[in-house]
Amino acid sequence: MKFEHCIRCTICVENCPVFRVNPAFPGPKQSGPDAQRFRMDGEKSVDQWVQLCSQCKRCEIACPYGVDPAEIILKAQIKYAGEHMRSPANYLFANNYYLGTLGSLASPIANRIAATEFAKRTFNLMGISTYMPFPRFNLMSMNKGRRKLGKGVRKVVFFYGCFLNFNRPDVGRTIRELLVSLGLEVVLPHQVCCGLPALGNGDLELARRFATRNASILVEYINKGYDVIYGCTSCGLTLAHDYPGILNVQGGKKVAENSYNVSEYILKLIDEGAINPTFGPVDMRVAYHIPCHLRAIGIGYPAARIFAKIPGLAYDILDDHCCGLSGSYGFKRKNQATALAIGNQAAALIKESGAQVLASDCGACRMQLAHLSGLTALEPSEIITASLRKGASSA
Amino acid sequence: MSVIDYDAVVIGGGMSGLMAGIHLLEQGHTVAVVSRGDPAVCLSTGCIDVCGTGVDPMAGVDALPATHPYHLAGREKILAALDRFSEIMTDMRLPYAGNAGENRAIITPLGTTKLTCLVPRTMETSPRKPDEYIHVVSFKGLKDFYPSYITSARKNTGFSLYDAGVTTTMGIAARFEDRKFLSEFITWLKGLEIPDGKLAFPAVMGLEHPLSIMQEIQIELERWGFEIPTLPSSLPGIRLFKGLKRAFQAKGGDVYWGSPIASVERSAKNIEAVTIETKGRSTRVNGQAFILATGSFVSGGLFALRDEIQETVFNLPVAAPGPRDDWFNRDFFTPGHAIEGAGIRVGQDFRPLEGTLENLFVCGSIISGSEVMKYGCGHGLALATGLAAAESCAEALK
Repeated sequence: MKFEHCIRCTICVENCPVFRVNPAFPGPKQSGPDAQRFRMDGEKSVDQWVQLCSQCKRCEIACPYGVDPAEIILKAQIKYAGEHMRSPANYLFANNYYLGTLGSLASPIANRIAATEFAKRTFNLMGISTYMPFPRFNLMSMNKGRRKLGKGVRKVVFFYGCFLNFNRPDVGRTIRELLVSLGLEVVLPHQVCCGLPALGNGDLELARRFATRNASILVEYINKGYDVIYGCTSCGLTLAHDYPGILNVQGGKKVAENSYNVSEYILKLIDEGAINPTFGPVDMRVAYHIPCHLRAIGIGYPAARIFAKIPGLAYDILDDHCCGLSGSYGFKRKNQATALAIGNQAAALIKESGAQVLASDCGACRMQLAHLSGLTALEPSEIITASLRKGASSA
Repeated sequence: MSVIDYDAVVIGGGMSGLMAGIHLLEQGHTVAVVSRGDPAVCLSTGCIDVCGTGVDPMAGVDALPATHPYHLAGREKILAALDRFSEIMTDMRLPYAGNAGENRAIITPLGTTKLTCLVPRTMETSPRKPDEYIHVVSFKGLKDFYPSYITSARKNTGFSLYDAGVTTTMGIAARFEDRKFLSEFITWLKGLEIPDGKLAFPAVMGLEHPLSIMQEIQIELERWGFEIPTLPSSLPGIRLFKGLKRAFQAKGGDVYWGSPIASVERSAKNIEAVTIETKGRSTRVNGQAFILATGSFVSGGLFALRDEIQETVFNLPVAAPGPRDDWFNRDFFTPGHAIEGAGIRVGQDFRPLEGTLENLFVCGSIISGSEVMKYGCGHGLALATGLAAAESCAEALK
């Protein structure tokens, strides 16, 4: 176990957004390596506060000794959840995929019902917070429509993830069109939730079922020469880190090795000389909020490297704050105050930067920060698309 | 494997590495900083110690042993680095006070004083006279700062405690960013009967905007106030690190954080690439030149085995101070354990002396003979050698 490498330097604590605003959480050092010394198999967990960790992974990135407090806490969370009654909110969010499938099918009614006072009260009773409007379901989800687009030597599978699928298929289609316009063959096979919401809500078995299903589909394509592109950095982290890691599914390593962030893949194609797109001017000032899970993947900030190529685009990289929502974490009532306090710190810096819009690679970050800052939130691909359109029309 | 190309790749995201990175960006190069995690500067007081052996820092530098790496950078470069640093931090709205002409004594959390050169402006008015009245204002339940250490060590002091609702350094600092909290705190302060003198606060006065928070308190209270560094979590150290990192990023530098270096590719004369362990697959970072700024033992640049000291990234030969018996003093608290001098021997151009590598430059406390604890020169040496190594690197990139 790596907890023994902890020298108690407190750098993880300095980086923990939850510890900063919620005195009930003892922080990554104590809940991770410190408490790990006292945890034993076969003994019932008493450390209820591990549930307060949002799994943003900032402690893991900050730790200079490779201890990975977040993973230690994740295991303690799963152990705790397995031994105790889970809340209705936990069940609901673990099964987010099915909720999304239903919600999207019934979206004309579901969205209306979700917006009523009655529904809000019911949500609150179930332990679900309503400080922010629930993301609307969309009838035209990504899983509807053509499964194969474009033609090219390079072939990719688009793993769009639940948020783009059910809630923002318009953004999902923008990414899809961007990839097609770069001369790629884009396939959207049937796929299920990446498994992260189940993992984050303590349901390891369900997470593993989702992951097994996805891995078998994705590996089939990878074997045929396809690369996988994910549309959300949290899905990406799950594919790259958890599939071969804690979920340990067959083919997990192969999926991890062949999955790419959208901007990362575009840069790869440029660097390899496969494409040579012209970036046209985009006159805009953008606050680029780096999702914690993009940091955790470790590939740097590829979208920022593309932004640097776009004439007229001014951008500030904001990577010192978490948005606070952390997927379903902030949608739980018990975490609402924490999520808001963290998010307001991030939103204050975004507003201070003088940006006209904000950008982020994660749907949850965009939802939270758009709500708290009042700015429009874009997926980096939307900005890249605008630039390439300008570039193409001037050429 | 993913492949990314840069002109210069800096290994280590601390003071020295970021300073080197900023200089190379300003020279028009593409630069990446690769760091295994957050640097030791986060645990520091945030003050820039240039040389703490006497009141005149530069005279102190001149008197250091001939083998000290400060002499490789030279007086001019040290002064230039400090100036450049002050400009950067002013741009980042975390300005520093002080100059290289004189060290100042600031109050430590133990109530003693320590000599340092540049201090965050929030510490600028730390009293210079030992009998000046200071009133320590701390926070209920804050475990990393004990006002009584100060009130018992100094004459003419008093203290008050405020209930911030939270008890941690990071928690209180975050509260101070909230205007409502700040104005309630000021109202409470105004209600206290405090003798004439200065207000002393533990360094928890805000995450991002400490100076404007301190200025508001001073204006409202019509008296001077200053921060005293705390045990880690040390806000002034964190602010310093974040300020330099943001400056590096604002100039177009890329950061790769939290991934250890898995392997190195080298030819006879050059380092070609480092491979970092990113999630899923490793990432190969190619560079024309490399800067090694991984620090000494605490930061993980050096690793001591039973009878040998290793350099952890490139396995460069380490100059060790004799056999293990000679590494430590008998008394732990006697300053100047010989092992502090262990490190990489470099030439005037900051290339390693041993070996044949031509595109590697070394800076910071990993350089042999630094002994930063003994001489009180950590951040100053990091800045000066960071700038000097980067200039040498920029010359090679031409």
